[in-house]
Amino acid sequence: MDEYLRCQDILVSFGGVVACNKLSLTVPRGKIVGLIGPNGAGKTTLFNALTRFQSYDSGNVYYEGRPVDNRKPHHMVHMGMARTFQNINLFRDQTTLQNIMTGAHSLMGDPFSAMYWLPAARRREHEIKERAIEIAEMLSLTTELENEVGNLPYGYQKRVELARALASKPSILLLDEPVAGCNDDETRELKELVFKVNREMGVSILLVEHDMSMVMQVCDYIYVINFGANLAEGIPDEVRANPEVIAAYLGVEDDE
Amino acid sequence: MTEAPAKMTATVVAEFAERREAVNSLKRRYLRQDFIAAAVLLAIALLTPTLPIVKGWMLSQASLVIIYVIAAMGVAILVGYTGLVSVGHGGFLAIGAYTSALLTKHFGVDMIIGMIAAMFVSAFIGALLALVFLRLSGAFMAIGTLGFAFFVGTIVNNVPLFEGRDGILLDDNVILGIKIGDFGFYYTSIISLALITLFVYCVVNSGTGRAFMALRDSENAAMASGVNRLLYRVLAFTISAGITGIAGALNAHIVNYVSAEVYADIWYSVDILMAVVVGGAAILIGPYLGGFFVVMLPFFFEQLADFSFILKGVVLIIVLRFAPAGIGEILLRPFQIARSRKLRAAAGSKVD
Repeated sequence: MDEYLRCQDILVSFGGVVACNKLSLTVPRGKIVGLIGPNGAGKTTLFNALTRFQSYDSGNVYYEGRPVDNRKPHHMVHMGMARTFQNINLFRDQTTLQNIMTGAHSLMGDPFSAMYWLPAARRREHEIKERAIEIAEMLSLTTELENEVGNLPYGYQKRVELARALASKPSILLLDEPVAGCNDDETRELKELVFKVNREMGVSILLVEHDMSMVMQVCDYIYVINFGANLAEGIPDEVRANPEVIAAYLGVEDDE
Repeated sequence: MTEAPAKMTATVVAEFAERREAVNSLKRRYLRQDFIAAAVLLAIALLTPTLPIVKGWMLSQASLVIIYVIAAMGVAILVGYTGLVSVGHGGFLAIGAYTSALLTKHFGVDMIIGMIAAMFVSAFIGALLALVFLRLSGAFMAIGTLGFAFFVGTIVNNVPLFEGRDGILLDDNVILGIKIGDFGFYYTSIISLALITLFVYCVVNSGTGRAFMALRDSENAAMASGVNRLLYRVLAFTISAGITGIAGALNAHIVNYVSAEVYADIWYSVDILMAVVVGGAAILIGPYLGGFFVVMLPFFFEQLADFSFILKGVVLIIVLRFAPAGIGEILLRPFQIARSRKLRAAAGSKVD
């Protein structure tokens, strides 16, 4: 099976506003797929629909070929899908280590053996901690493990969120604007991390991003949406040359 | 010339950072120091009856403190660690009290069996109610739980089984066929509290507790981490109700009497919640300090009679203003600051 995640004809409307009008896309195994579009194109709504944070009026989402339309967000994590948020969503008063360990919640097992400290559960707890520290090392967060994330600089928080998502051993990772608001250095770092996660850990990635240079450099395949509809798709060079995409991003000249 | 101001700025910045860190650490777990402090308080409680000033009815006053601490422990799981507010835990106290009272009265069971039964019945009803309440959010849930407390009050007032305001008079407390008396009761309460404290420590320092706190701090991030929101909230509510149920059973046996006059009132609910807020909700010693405060304040200011309610209110306001995370948090803050200093020093030496 080469497709990991696929959605077909997703329709989301808020009252009279149609945010996603029959959107479809496919994320193949082991690839980095980009999802771009101007502001308000429905990227994040589609993203939330894929991770089941947003319910949709019609259409289907398939994960590894099976429909997952009735699943809750936490089911998706247990099935191997992890996500980050556009505006950072972290446990601000908890330390980096606690944040990453919470990310590994799906590896914890049942809550009852965990809360009674049964030996098997303690072993798993230990493994979760080691895994969290490993991930922190990979994302160079080791020095911040005991610090509260609310006190960390923005770029660090972005990395903690990525670490939290990676802690669940995902096979597909959905990143919602990972470099939004980052400076050039932070952007470069995160770009390398995305590559590393994809190539070394074999995680498929769906990336929503505004930063065009990043999208063009890291993505294997790109979907462009505009006004809630599929506008174009293809490998980066095709998308870059597509006149409709250029029009959507830069606007068309009016003939007066 | 330029060095001095720079140094001063650095000091100010460092100091500011420190203060900010102290404020930010409101909701964090103190792990070891907290556990040790709770153990110390338990040891003090263990030795209390041996003090020469404690005699006669003061022992039952001390038992009452322990009962409140247990009830507050239950509420703390919900309010402090899971971020849900319940104003109706007096209802679970009543359920625990009547469960144990009816069982010991009509079936002559051991007090311990009564307590365990109280825990299970209360936890079960808590689980059912959680499925209803958790559909409400924030303040609506608080009002819903308040409604539950009134509901329980009306039931015990009007259903013949509970004998309304006449109440149910119980025989002397018996454990394993032995009458335990005041001392025995006190130590039964202490042992219960010790076990419950250990249990709560285990819960909040496990993946389960992490899931609770995740839901408290950011629902979206919790769900994105795979936390089943409904399951963990119901679980927290169930644990919370069960622990408060044990306190209820003890509360019935301390005076060997249960009556609607006492349990139909919502003051229990308010007092337990106040104990948690004043002592500190997300730390182990919070319920200890809060329980002591709520029971002993009217005792110390006996002359004030009903005006001690006003005093309680004033203290509550002061605490909320100056120590929103509770008195316990202030006591533990020095450890926290020392720890962050050590961390910063360690980080600094790495940079050098």
